[in-house]
Amino acid sequence: MKPKHSVIRTTVRGVPLILETSHALPLVNIAVARVTGAAQDPEGKAGTSRILSRLARRTAGGRPLQVIEESLDRLGASLGSDVSYSATSLSGTVIARSLDKFADLLADAVGRPSLDITEFERLKRETRAEIIDGLDNDRALGHRALRRALYPNHPYANTSAGTLKTLAAIEHQTVVDFDRLVRRRDSLVLGVSGSIELEQAKALAERVIEAVPEGQAPKDTLTDPVIAEGRKLIIVDKPERAQTQILIGLSGTQPTDEDHTALHVAATVFGGTFSSRLMQEVRVNRGWSYGAYASLPIDRYRQAMTLWTFPSKDDAPACAKLELELLEKLVCDGITPKELNFAKKSLVRSHAFSVDTAAKRMSLALDSTILELPEDYYDRYEERVSAVTLEQANAALKARVDPSRLVIAVVGTAKELQERLQEAIPSVTTVEVIPHDSEEL
Amino acid sequence: MPENSTTLAKPSALERSLGKVPEEFRPVYEGSVAFGPSLTVERFRYKNGLTLLCCEDDAAPVLSFHTWFKVGSRHERPGKTGIAHLFEHLMFGETEHLGPGEYDHQLEEAGAETNASTWLDFTQYTVNAPAGALPLVVELEAERLRFLSLTEKQVSTEKDVVANERRYRVDDDIEGATSELLWSTAFREHAYHWPTIGWMPDILGFCPEDCTAFYKTYYAPNNATIVVVGDFKLTDLLTRIGTAYAPLTASELPVEDVHPEPPQIEERKLEIAKPTPTEKLVLGYRGPSLGDFDHVAISVLGEVLCGGRPSRLVKRLVHELEIASDVRMSVGPFRDPGLIEISVTARDETTAEALLAVVDEEFERVKQEPVTQDELERALARLELGMLASLETVDGKASTLGFYETVLGRPATAFERLDAMQKTTLSDLRRAARTFLRTSARTTLFVRCAPEAEDSEAEEPETEVSDAAPEAKGEVVQ
Repeated sequence: MKPKHSVIRTTVRGVPLILETSHALPLVNIAVARVTGAAQDPEGKAGTSRILSRLARRTAGGRPLQVIEESLDRLGASLGSDVSYSATSLSGTVIARSLDKFADLLADAVGRPSLDITEFERLKRETRAEIIDGLDNDRALGHRALRRALYPNHPYANTSAGTLKTLAAIEHQTVVDFDRLVRRRDSLVLGVSGSIELEQAKALAERVIEAVPEGQAPKDTLTDPVIAEGRKLIIVDKPERAQTQILIGLSGTQPTDEDHTALHVAATVFGGTFSSRLMQEVRVNRGWSYGAYASLPIDRYRQAMTLWTFPSKDDAPACAKLELELLEKLVCDGITPKELNFAKKSLVRSHAFSVDTAAKRMSLALDSTILELPEDYYDRYEERVSAVTLEQANAALKARVDPSRLVIAVVGTAKELQERLQEAIPSVTTVEVIPHDSEEL
Repeated sequence: MPENSTTLAKPSALERSLGKVPEEFRPVYEGSVAFGPSLTVERFRYKNGLTLLCCEDDAAPVLSFHTWFKVGSRHERPGKTGIAHLFEHLMFGETEHLGPGEYDHQLEEAGAETNASTWLDFTQYTVNAPAGALPLVVELEAERLRFLSLTEKQVSTEKDVVANERRYRVDDDIEGATSELLWSTAFREHAYHWPTIGWMPDILGFCPEDCTAFYKTYYAPNNATIVVVGDFKLTDLLTRIGTAYAPLTASELPVEDVHPEPPQIEERKLEIAKPTPTEKLVLGYRGPSLGDFDHVAISVLGEVLCGGRPSRLVKRLVHELEIASDVRMSVGPFRDPGLIEISVTARDETTAEALLAVVDEEFERVKQEPVTQDELERALARLELGMLASLETVDGKASTLGFYETVLGRPATAFERLDAMQKTTLSDLRRAARTFLRTSARTTLFVRCAPEAEDSEAEEPETEVSDAAPEAKGEVVQ
């Protein structure tokens, strides 16, 4: 049985508008996305897109920040900025009765930000403090180290927040210039869902895009990142760790690859469910880590498949070794017909929870537009997964997953781990130890 | 339904549904209550004491099936802390008719996702599933309630997993470690003294006999509430649950052995060093229980003080003075009086004492001068938005119903609270400030930066300064 819904796609002054009406709750969700993201941050100034997006929100229509925040609270509304590699979004939720006033604020944030220099300086100081606070988050440190090693010389090496070093390089003029470049009407996509009808949504879109200069932001000219040969071990050295974070990254796929869905199914067998090989071997059989996962994220360019476990410092070397052995076995022997059948059923049936609310359906439609995927990309998800054969899944593993070409990032106390990790993990080609508070992370 | 819920007339359609359930499995209808503007919750009780709350919502072909038990870490005793949480893990293991991993395997194959959590007052299990998977969900949930196997190997492996979870959520996590220390210092008599995840030596010391005794005592139908929200047919649901759970017999639940916490009459101060880049200030004021009349008022005041950027503490500390990067405040939602927690992360070289001086100043101000009507209205709008947003999914609705039913016995309390909030006055807020934000009833924790600070394996602290647990008293995922 299909859900009772229909996403409407239309355009307003050439800008795509995606709408799904639902009166289940008196709420309206709105997302204004621009198809330029952190991957287009100026060289050496990672974090620029994020600073610009947050600054626009903080200086909507030249209002002081506190006035904006108080207005949002009064309306019963939230408004946040989100920056991925491919897009920058301002998105919010508002109690339906306040939609009209919320639209004024949103239109000013999208079309009339003052980008006030005093607020810029304050935002920069706040961002610096947030990056420093991030040193308390071991998993985030592991992800930063992993990306940096996986994608040298590619924007995917950076996080959207940047580092202390790149943040310091961002000047007010950098942000103003970047805004002139990217804030263009033809690069926008709008998504609206909830207690709102089509005509209201169109009127809302008109107001939001009205003050945005016409034209298109420059498209990026990137290519897929290439993962270097060999096994690289990175240890993020942090004192007093009773536990480690182990992240392993290796080549993946992107949605336009013919074998993407096949690899997605195979990755699910390996680490996508509680019944997966990784979870069973690491957690259920050995009790080494509370969680054990493999994921295959997508973006406009090829992202890495990533494995994540977090064993104690005592079990970390054996756990890393086991993960690599399981990976080698996966590629060498492939998945079984039974595993394929299970993963396909699980993925197809659980898709119901990716589309169970109007907001989620709108969000998927927005994603497919941003990533330049076919309009029905997510509508046909179940069909694509159902069609994957055993041969395709195992061929995708052999073609895409190379256990001799990967990065292992471990957050832990180096003096207790380095020697044992190097002994346990075969064929490590390079080892790097980075202090957890390095300016490079 | 409780007397202060809005009880609706028993609709004839419901009577017809109930009449179709075979008599031996037919539950007693106990009433209906409105759940927001468009939904209704019905409550039934089976002969063995099992309570069922159901709420039909066919907006999507999915459902959420929750099982809530009135057992949490408050029912534990010293030396056996963490058993409620360990047991939650064991519930995903083998049963008489299901091999290792089969419970999850069957549900995942059906497209369902499972989860669970344990806290001070309850343990809760979630299955979110496509609507068509209801028969399987009922069968497997009843199976593990009737036939769970508790072998030496299962208990041993799961203890290792929990020990790892503890390292992850507490020992290596500043927030978890400070929260555990705060609670264990603020409470000396009451069971809220120990963390839900348990002290490490207790976790490692459990044996299968401990677990079997716990299972037999607390996992009984008369100690459980099933909550189902989503796309289902009422007659079918009532019959399936009646049939699958009927063989379970009610148990004699032990009388609770919780010691009330004596009033705190002087401030308790602590200082610890952790490998962290900036100092932190963590405060715990003795607060009201969830059912207390003033819980609503102090929750609204919490929004005025710490609910977003324009709130008083965030505005002063983060925006104007720029001496903090993060400020949070929460009012414990517990059956017995808990803590009002405030945590502040310093920026750069700012000390925790400097943060405390500003917090004290702002708290004194709300005691002396009423907050403004505009501040109150903004806080109420924020709370309304948060409440509505939490009800978007079937899981969100089931969580809200199960939580309030288990802790207060009133499933639709979320909307009652929203109504009560709308009636909150400036006088209520000042009274709440004067009642609860008292330094003499406060535990104060200063976290210093010490890259090489000494570490200790978490066990029950013998002195006020120790090192040990968690993200919210052990909200735990399987």
